[in-house]
Amino acid sequence: MSSSSPAAVAPSQDPVLDVAALTFAYPGAPETAVLRGVNLTLAPGERVAIVGESGSGKSTLLHLAAGLERPGGGEVRLAGTSLGGLDEAGRTRLRRRVAGIVFQSFHLIPTLDARENVMLALELAGLPDDVAGRRARVAERRRRADAALAAVGLEGLGGRLPEALSGGEQQRVAIARALVHQPALILADEPTGNLDSVTGESVFSLLLEQVATHDSALLLVTHSAELAGRLDRIHTMHDGLLREG
Amino acid sequence: MGLIWRAWMRDWRRRPLQRVLTLLGVVIAVAVVLAVDLANQSAQRAFDRSMETVAGTATHQVLGPPEGFAEALYAELRSAGQRETAPVVEGAARLEDGRSIYLLGVDPFAEGPFRGAASDIGAAPVQRLLTEPGTVLPPRQWFAEQDAADGDRIELQAAGGRHAVRVLEADGAGEDDGRVWVTDIATAQVLLGRDGRLDRIDLRLEDAEAQRAMERALEQAAGTAGVNPEELEIVESGARDQASRELARAFRINLTAMSLLALLIAAFLVYNTQTFAVLRRRELLSSLRLLGAGRGRVVAVVLLEAALVGLIGTLLGALAGIALAQALVAQVAQTVTDHFFAAAVTQVTPRPLALLAVLPVGVGVALLAALAPALEAARHAGPSGQGAGAGEARARRRANRLAVTSLGLLVAGAGVLVTGVAGLPGAFFGLFLLIAGFVLLLPRVLGWTLRGLAALSAGRSLPRIGLRSLERSLSRSGPAASALTLALAATIAVSVMVGSFRGSVEQWLGQALTSDLYVTPVAPAAARDAARLPQDWAGPLLSESGADSLSTGTTVETGSDAGRVELFVVRPHPDWLEHLPLLEVDGPRDGLADRMAAGDAVLVTEPFAAHHDLQAGDDLELAVPGGRRTFTVAGVYRDYATPQGRVMIPHGAYARDGPAPEGVGSFGLVLPPDVDPEAAVERLEAWLAQRDPAAIVTRPAELEQESMAIFDRTFAVTHLLRIITLVVAFIAILGALMALQMERAREFATLRSLGLEPRGVHGLVLLQGGVLGLFAVLAAIPAGLGMGWILIEVINRQAFGWGMDLRWPGREVAGTVAVGLVAALLASLWPAWRMARMRLLPALREVT
Ligand SMILES: Nc1ncnc2c1ncn2[C@@H]1O[C@H](COP(=O)(O)OP(=O)(O)O)[C@@H](O)[C@H]1O
Ligand SMILES: [Mg+2]
Repeated sequence: MSSSSPAAVAPSQDPVLDVAALTFAYPGAPETAVLRGVNLTLAPGERVAIVGESGSGKSTLLHLAAGLERPGGGEVRLAGTSLGGLDEAGRTRLRRRVAGIVFQSFHLIPTLDARENVMLALELAGLPDDVAGRRARVAERRRRADAALAAVGLEGLGGRLPEALSGGEQQRVAIARALVHQPALILADEPTGNLDSVTGESVFSLLLEQVATHDSALLLVTHSAELAGRLDRIHTMHDGLLREG
Repeated sequence: MGLIWRAWMRDWRRRPLQRVLTLLGVVIAVAVVLAVDLANQSAQRAFDRSMETVAGTATHQVLGPPEGFAEALYAELRSAGQRETAPVVEGAARLEDGRSIYLLGVDPFAEGPFRGAASDIGAAPVQRLLTEPGTVLPPRQWFAEQDAADGDRIELQAAGGRHAVRVLEADGAGEDDGRVWVTDIATAQVLLGRDGRLDRIDLRLEDAEAQRAMERALEQAAGTAGVNPEELEIVESGARDQASRELARAFRINLTAMSLLALLIAAFLVYNTQTFAVLRRRELLSSLRLLGAGRGRVVAVVLLEAALVGLIGTLLGALAGIALAQALVAQVAQTVTDHFFAAAVTQVTPRPLALLAVLPVGVGVALLAALAPALEAARHAGPSGQGAGAGEARARRRANRLAVTSLGLLVAGAGVLVTGVAGLPGAFFGLFLLIAGFVLLLPRVLGWTLRGLAALSAGRSLPRIGLRSLERSLSRSGPAASALTLALAATIAVSVMVGSFRGSVEQWLGQALTSDLYVTPVAPAAARDAARLPQDWAGPLLSESGADSLSTGTTVETGSDAGRVELFVVRPHPDWLEHLPLLEVDGPRDGLADRMAAGDAVLVTEPFAAHHDLQAGDDLELAVPGGRRTFTVAGVYRDYATPQGRVMIPHGAYARDGPAPEGVGSFGLVLPPDVDPEAAVERLEAWLAQRDPAAIVTRPAELEQESMAIFDRTFAVTHLLRIITLVVAFIAILGALMALQMERAREFATLRSLGLEPRGVHGLVLLQGGVLGLFAVLAAIPAGLGMGWILIEVINRQAFGWGMDLRWPGREVAGTVAVGLVAALLASLWPAWRMARMRLLPALREVT
């Protein structure tokens, strides 16, 4: 983990994610509160599942935790920093250091090959920050990306464009991309939702294994009780409120 | 269709700006085409009206030597039973306020069949011209402007000196006739110094039979009236202004070509936005098809929308076009006025037909642009998801096919130009084929370029993403880059053409104006050719100015075996041939002076040689005093004085067999180094102040200035169209980038979720705009220079017969490059801003 990461500076007891009394409504529908006072805390390395019906606000919570949108009321602290006080650029900078996101439909950049997709996360996070010279940095990024791809079982497929990869392979690339810069928190929104059950199972196992390897915390949205049961804690989203269990 | 229609049209509310751009494309296309058409029509009418007022409905004219012929000839013709004849004395005059007018002296009794419709000559007040001597009939508009009344006295300055006349007001009917003032023959003869002489006799000859009868009658009448029949000529009345018409036509063709170019670029814009509008709603189309909506129905909805866009765009475009035409027509009218004597039309009267004619343009462009994507969407409507990518793959295949087509067009265009078939329209068609081929090839080239650049940018993810997404969306970026390229290339081409033209004219003026001072009659520019100064001023002018050499130049119109031609009769300075920009000489150049002096050689200008298909060494028969003689064309020289060209003949040769007409057109004086030009001008002006007719001293610099001012006015209109073209191209880039960014909204949102700051999004979009701009600029430079070369070497030679030295206008090209880049970057600003502050959640949202 990079020494400049605030997650590293924070004492290990400090939560990676601390959501308190969070409320939110979409600008398009300001009358309808999607989140109505959500509380949630993730300690470093902790793995939490959120389940709930479709439309209950799980994805919204995840996106707010990632700082993709400004919280309505209440507070979201990511690695000790409150998102409410940050502008768009500030949230972005915090997110790229602290968090990695895995989406349901992978969201790989279609114009970059697998390796470049992984390298992109390093490049955006400004890593490595201890190597001088652009060439050397690019070489180091390439090395780390290849290692990350190998770790998810994609050795030798780095040169393929996303359109030439299967769904399971694409999600593995996405996992490598989310983890390559060693974030303290992985946010995953239905990561197996677009995969068949066999592939889904292997991708899910891989995700858990990788999260463990990197010592990252994991906030996972799923509607599968079976998958949720393999994590440390389960929360249920209902009607804009989060209940433990 | 109700719900389908509603679902389809909801897009207008969701993406108003996109749709407004489509509409704007139609508006601009229609406006430019209509404006140019209206301006052309109005200028044409101005021109025709001037000509008609002067020439009336005569089919033929009897023309004589420049000084005119005895009026007895007319009387003889009439008494020989030739009733459909009307005598005319005409020339330029000047009002007290300095404005120039054109005096038309007619015989009101003979006029009835000739100019009646055009100018109300023949109506009641015209009779008063006869009963009240010394009266003139100004155009009605003059009374309104001057607040003058019937019977007021004014002074007129013309070839016959300064005279007081009374003005008559033609009450009631009649259009205003611009600058043509009508008077009777006798008054005109006095005012114009044409005692007992006529300039021409207008004729109406129904057929060849009548013409032969007229020829016989003229022969006889000439004998009785004591006029040398060799000096008389019956010409078709259109023939005289044919040359002027040529220029006007060439000017109009240039304008029309520009408008077609603007149309082409606007069509791009419409196509681009329409395609996108349809593609973006591909999912909706698929759903509709899956729900059982027939293919025909889906296509119908798309086309109905396009037709509506076309209709509304056409209506708005028509309004904009009329406004634009007002600006254009003033320009065109000024140009016509600069080159001819009168053009009174300053107002655009939109004809319903012209308005109807643009309807197919507007609706057609919109429909055509929507047809291809509509059919495609209907054909391939399947489950959504693979839509866009598959569409792009198809677009790439189409680009390949287009590349082959474009090569064919390029070859065909080059063929048409090289072989020179079909004259000027053929040349334009060839140029058009070349442009079309080039434009169709561009997306392919852009694709290669982007791939190359992406390869070069390995290791820099963001530029790579930007470049690759441009390449993937070639169906957006290609047409936009093509539109910008075309606009910039056209700008460069016109710069090359106008710049070369201007440079050549300037250089020519420098060479042609070999004297230090000129003494010219006071006359309106267009009538200057006909104005004369007394030959016997030569001695006093030399002594007053202290010059050591004097030249004269006189323009006369005469008959030849090539029709009516303009002769430039010169008594040159001794060293004149050294300064003359000779392009071609018959035999050795050294002997030219001797051959010219020998009296049977002439020089012709480049356009003259081109129009009459003459080369050095050819023969040319000219009517000169004493009869017709055959001259050798000893050489061809560069001259931009007249588009129809002229023949330069030494005075000695001209007047060898008979006395030349009185007077000279202008004097040129070469001062020795020790004479101060300022002082010489003052002395000459003092001397001239005592003399009649009025004359002025000008220095070459002033003449040059005046000429260049006219030149610049003539081409000012091209600047306007250039701006329009650039604006359209700007909008094309803007539309394309917006479409591109919207298509890639999810990609951008992903990048943002991975940690790209809004600033980075800005940079990415600006990079894309900049790359498109840079590509367009780099492609436009060779294309523009090539087009410029074709304009100069093919189009202008065909249209005017003018050759010019090619000049590479470095500064203009640099300016265009800057404008192109700035336009592309400016066009990226808005999409960049939008994308940077795009809301991420909707773009990233997943449906479970
Ligand atoms: N952009 C949006 N504008 C308005 N409402 C939205 C938007 N996105 C989602 N919603 C609403 O917010 C609610 C929660 O959505 P989401 O968080 O995606 O649910 P989940 O992930 O639990 O299925 C839903 O009722 C949905 O309709
Ligand atoms: Mg969800």
